[in-house]
Amino acid sequence: MTDATALADNLNVAQRIRRDYSPLVIAMVGLFLLVFVAGAIFTDDFLTWFNVKTIIRDAALVGIMAIGLTFVTLSGNFFLLSMKEIAALSIICFATLMSADWNQWGAAGADPTTYSLTMTFLVAFVATMIVATVAGALQGALIGLGGNPIVVTLGAAGLFFGIGSWWSDNLVVSYRRPHGAEWLGTGSFIGDIPNITVAFIVIAVVAELTLRYTTFGRQVYLVGANRAAGRATGHENFGMAIKCCIIASVCAAFVAVAFSGQVSSAHVNYFSSEFGSSGDMTIMVIAIVMVGGNSIMGGYGSTLRTSLGAIFISSIDNMMVLNGFNSGARVLAVGLMIVFSIIVFALVRRGSRAVE
Amino acid sequence: MERFKHWVAENADLSFAILLAVSVFTFFAITEPLFFTHRTGFAIMERFAVLGLVGLALTLCIIAGEIDLSIGSNAALAAVITVRFTDDWGAVNALLFALAISTTIGVIQGYFIAYLRIRAIVLTVGTLMLLRGVALFAAEEKTVMLTDFRIPDFISTKMLGYFSPASLLVIVMFILVGLFMTYTRYGREIYAIGGARKEALASGISLQRPMIIVFAISGFCAGLGGVIIGLRSGTAQALGLQYLLLAGTVAAFIGGVSILGGKGGVIGAAIGTLTVNFLNTGLVFNVTPAFMVQLYLGILLLVVIMFQTGSRVFDERQRRNQLLQDADRRRSILADKIAELRRPSG
Repeated sequence: MTDATALADNLNVAQRIRRDYSPLVIAMVGLFLLVFVAGAIFTDDFLTWFNVKTIIRDAALVGIMAIGLTFVTLSGNFFLLSMKEIAALSIICFATLMSADWNQWGAAGADPTTYSLTMTFLVAFVATMIVATVAGALQGALIGLGGNPIVVTLGAAGLFFGIGSWWSDNLVVSYRRPHGAEWLGTGSFIGDIPNITVAFIVIAVVAELTLRYTTFGRQVYLVGANRAAGRATGHENFGMAIKCCIIASVCAAFVAVAFSGQVSSAHVNYFSSEFGSSGDMTIMVIAIVMVGGNSIMGGYGSTLRTSLGAIFISSIDNMMVLNGFNSGARVLAVGLMIVFSIIVFALVRRGSRAVE
Repeated sequence: MERFKHWVAENADLSFAILLAVSVFTFFAITEPLFFTHRTGFAIMERFAVLGLVGLALTLCIIAGEIDLSIGSNAALAAVITVRFTDDWGAVNALLFALAISTTIGVIQGYFIAYLRIRAIVLTVGTLMLLRGVALFAAEEKTVMLTDFRIPDFISTKMLGYFSPASLLVIVMFILVGLFMTYTRYGREIYAIGGARKEALASGISLQRPMIIVFAISGFCAGLGGVIIGLRSGTAQALGLQYLLLAGTVAAFIGGVSILGGKGGVIGAAIGTLTVNFLNTGLVFNVTPAFMVQLYLGILLLVVIMFQTGSRVFDERQRRNQLLQDADRRRSILADKIAELRRPSG
């Protein structure tokens, strides 16, 4: 046992990669890297500090959502088709509370103080998180009872979107600057690195550490990899589904708050493809989880892969924008990447072990 | 009467669907004076043309134990292609071209799902995005429009009172698929791989043929739905038609399919779609905004799923209790026997 471990430690990086990954995966990653490097060299203004910052800031919003979704995927519950609707409900909740008059915490007509701004933000933030937690728990409970995740979240998506539109009368809810969410939306504490980028990095690190070194993280992998074994050792999917869905929802709500802080307004369509240029938010998030190389059937993958996937997709998108491609070509490129990685991972899985 | 009771007990899901459809219809017919009229009937059949196709496609997929998420994208692609090429090639050629493309997409999806042995949701969520990209590309990110408006007029001409060419075509499609599912070997294979996949594979049914057939029909239905929408409205958007997936899923589940597969049928799909259409049309009379319709559909789907899951959990518990009771009974019988055997000797 110790000998084997010592032997494994003695392998160098190239040997270890060859042992752990199949040639197909290596080829695919190599191809992606090749495209990336070629693009980076032949695109003007790509490798500038400003552009790199832009890429990571773009990756941050979808990336945080994708990190949340990774927990659901790893626990073997596929994915939530309601990510963008949870975010839509949260953004409406947040902006409504931010714009409410009773919530200004200061004398009417006077200039808002830092204290009043912070309190307004805190109340709105906590309320949004509670809404998101309830939304996540509702879906998680239905999934945990044995409902199909796809169908449950498809229904929940309609429900949340409907509630959000009804609450806001399908109008844009806006609030005045200065407001308490500016530091999260557009501010920066460390040099010229935006705070949302810092939040993305912190969340990625915390999520990765949670998955690797905590009991909960190990349980996520166990339930995802082998549900029967999980049940036999007392880790039912019921509690796990609820926890993972809450994590995903809270991440979506956090993204909604940050986005609302950027534009100081909210509308239910902010995360739909009718509004954004590069496709539907839910599908984009699922794409990131898949391109990162997480197993959709659960039990294999990490949030580190998801974060890298987010940065990769964001930089390809950025590269295509710099080269003057329209949104069609960009959506097409992301779609091709997902289908390609699905096929490669499925081929590897097909060759490596017996399928169900 | 006896036979009727028997039929209801046999087809509990279908009877529930019919009951739901009739009650929704009656509710709106009583509360809205204009609902139970000839024109509304025609409008409902017009909606049925598109939603029915999607409901039918999803019903087939769910019967086979899979779900096709790319249905909205496929429909949008077909709509964009038809509308874009109608001016150059004429409506019939453009329509056939679009249908050929969407059916081919379905065949390719089915082939890959069977060959790679992955769940359909995994692949179709990828193609969902891919096809949106293709549609955006084909439409050049614009809303494409017809210039010749005689075609939309033809598609919605009234025939036989309640029907238009589109809805007649869809009804024919329903009948054909229904006959195919009930009376041919291939149709029964689809039920087999949905209800009991391992057993079906072990008994020599190949996964590939039923999968390809299901997804080909699904692609064809999605394409036809897109073509009808595109030609009827005269415009098409690459990012449109996203609501079809939710509405179609609701229709399929009301029609009595089970997420585990192998259950349900074409009649159920038709009734489920009609229920959704009654609800949609009735809500329009109340000046309900579109997002509220989505809200109601979401709640409806969640309720149906809750019932299905609940009944499954209940069944499992019941079966487990039965098993334990059987074991207890056997043990007590055994104990009695042993006691009886011991008595003479002791």
